[in-house]
Amino acid sequence: MAARSATSMRVRAGDGQPQGGFTALVTSLPGLIIARLLILAVFLLFWEYASGTLISRFWVSAPSAIFGMLVTWFTDGSIWPHLEATLLAMGVGYLIGCGLGVGCGLMLGFLPMVQRIVMPYVSGLYALPKIALAPLLVIILGIDIPSKIALVAITTMFLLLYSTLDGIRDVDRDLVQTLRLMGATRAEIIRKVLIPATLPWIFTGMRVAVRYAFTAAVLGELIAANQGVGYLIEANAGLYDATGVFAGVFIIVVFSVAMTELLTRVEGRRAPPA
Amino acid sequence: MTGRSVVSTDQAVRTKAGERRAVLVWQIAFGLGALALWELTGRVFGSTWTSLPSQIAQRLLLWGGTDLFRHVYVTLTEVFVGLALGTVAGVVAGLALGRTQTLALVLRPIIVTLYSVPLVTMAPLLILWFGLEMESKIVLVTVVVFFLMFFNTFAGVQSIDPLLVTTLDLMGATTLERYRKVIAPAAMAWIFSGIKIALPYALSAATTGELLGGSYGLGTLLSRAGSQFDMTGLYTALIVLLVIGILLSEGVAFVENHLLRWRHVAE
Amino acid sequence: MEPVSAALPEKINFSGVGKTFFVRGTEVQALQPIDLAVRAREFVALVGPSGCGKSTLLNLVAGLLQPSEGSVTYDGKPVQGLNFRVGYMTQKDTLLPWRSAADNIGVSLELHCRSVSKAERAERIAAMVDLVGLSGFENHFPGELSGGMRKRVALARTLIYEPETLLMDEPFGALDAQLKLVMQDQLQRITQDRKMTVLFVTHDLGEAIAIGDRVVVFSGRPGRIRAIRDVTLPRPRDVFRMRFSEEFSRLHEELWDELKDEVVKGTDI
Repeated sequence: MAARSATSMRVRAGDGQPQGGFTALVTSLPGLIIARLLILAVFLLFWEYASGTLISRFWVSAPSAIFGMLVTWFTDGSIWPHLEATLLAMGVGYLIGCGLGVGCGLMLGFLPMVQRIVMPYVSGLYALPKIALAPLLVIILGIDIPSKIALVAITTMFLLLYSTLDGIRDVDRDLVQTLRLMGATRAEIIRKVLIPATLPWIFTGMRVAVRYAFTAAVLGELIAANQGVGYLIEANAGLYDATGVFAGVFIIVVFSVAMTELLTRVEGRRAPPA
Repeated sequence: MTGRSVVSTDQAVRTKAGERRAVLVWQIAFGLGALALWELTGRVFGSTWTSLPSQIAQRLLLWGGTDLFRHVYVTLTEVFVGLALGTVAGVVAGLALGRTQTLALVLRPIIVTLYSVPLVTMAPLLILWFGLEMESKIVLVTVVVFFLMFFNTFAGVQSIDPLLVTTLDLMGATTLERYRKVIAPAAMAWIFSGIKIALPYALSAATTGELLGGSYGLGTLLSRAGSQFDMTGLYTALIVLLVIGILLSEGVAFVENHLLRWRHVAE
Repeated sequence: MEPVSAALPEKINFSGVGKTFFVRGTEVQALQPIDLAVRAREFVALVGPSGCGKSTLLNLVAGLLQPSEGSVTYDGKPVQGLNFRVGYMTQKDTLLPWRSAADNIGVSLELHCRSVSKAERAERIAAMVDLVGLSGFENHFPGELSGGMRKRVALARTLIYEPETLLMDEPFGALDAQLKLVMQDQLQRITQDRKMTVLFVTHDLGEAIAIGDRVVVFSGRPGRIRAIRDVTLPRPRDVFRMRFSEEFSRLHEELWDELKDEVVKGTDI
């Protein structure tokens, strides 16, 4: 094996890329998948082995225990209320935030003078970590879902406000001039140029905002809540139960990856035909 | 340049400056008006929920005399130490993986996974491991910054125009000169834009960690005020955090404008 | 001044040079085997439709590519590795975006192998800035300059270290018509003064005749030499007026006949 890889290294050296047996393995698709699965397997096995021998189970739990806990959560159904709470807070907050953000963005975009006066304050507020609002929202709206909805909505609103404004700023001025010369009224310009030209920006903003909405929902639940995936993690952390924390984190990881995958697909479909 | 220009442009410049001054006046008026409205509605309809600007100002003075600065110091330490550690590690890892394509290919699913997960939600785990004090928050900030810098560097390495390198090579540049004249300045640009992106995340991560527990830091101050239903304290802490957020983002923009002026003039 | 004497030694020689690329597993012939000899201090203009392998020729001389067949020699020796005796002005201006125009022009003089004193560097940069007409823009970044100005910075950067051979790939393509003439005029003066050898790629036949000692017309892909003509117009030439001369018109007509088939054949120029 060693001899073979040495040969392949020499033969391909001319391409300017060092190539070894490892490279030869991963250049084929099945080989690549095997290499990836191998890394995952080694990682999990090492974790399982190290837990209880190299380091106390108390700190790192173990893959088998985490898997067991996940199975329990799903079989006894105790996970569903939490998932539901998180997704509800995320979804409702997202929709409200998108509406407010686009609304405010269009308003400020069509009133340039107001925009110039208000924007320094908006970008100032934007510099505040949104999560810092959680305690305030909990006091005003209570520990239940509405305070999480508000946090998600505020986070989403800022993102959409900015992407809408970017979209309006990006509108071709010459195009507007040309239409004005053709005799278009202000309302017609807004309807026929500004809004269609801004739409792609709004969609991009909406796509980006999904992840932030999810993060905001989970963080809100971490800080203060009585249900939700974030609450589940924080409650287990409070009990010093690493298994529960990891199981919760695992759910977040799976959900995030699925979401990213979905959004990438949507993006691919929306791409303009070449 | 405008000093010797013809009268008409001179006038245009003057009206523009005048307009800018008018906008500034309106901006200040808007801010003061909002504060006055806040104070007034609070006094007329009760200030249980909204507190009052005057009370917040008093609280700020009161805290300024005690340990407000210690809270600020702790939060900023977490942000900057985490930022420094995360940046160094992220840039090194990004450079290393950006140049070894094979390893990057194999690790791709892991990279993609870590990219899509909001790492700040790992805060409880890190607090479990590293305790409630500064260490856990520094680790949290480091982790968040690390991945942002890593992705930025990883993409940056692959975006250097090979023609720039070739041009210098043909002039007879040595490997060291190639790094000093092309790679390093190009890297500066993306490292800096990475820091600019990472800074708000770092502040957010530190705050999140502090909200979950600790004895000092602005997040701690917030959660303490919250648990005592102390609205004035809550707003005061929020305003301090807001000011820090603004100063950090303005600061990084200022440094960027000076260090990377060439990037802005292109637009 | 008389045209370059044929007695001067040979500088660059292509003998049976062909180049084939592999694009996603399929073979694409960029250059059919060609023979061409370039004498020292000669100004050779290569003209032909886009994608006929002219740039490939320059890359071969610079040592950025190796020929698939035949051999390229420089001063009688095969080109192996990078050829540090050429200055290469690529089609895309490869300015360093973080350096001002002046610092871009002077970058070669900062390198160890060409290093000069700071004072001399400043002096030579100033002379170059003056020469290419960039006075007042020395401290602008590439991002602040127009396409034409960037080209001039790239030209100055290539000329400043006085390489004995210049490889130029459509250097004036992006310039407006007037500026193009000014730059052609300056280029022929400089290369004459400094006794440089030049390989100049263009798709503008008029430009090729105006500044070349010899014009080589290429056919479309795969590239091959279609015609070679000497331009016997005396130097220094007046690029502004020579277009009305009889020899210019005659050469233009003659070579255009060769080129136009290719232009029509090729989809892009």
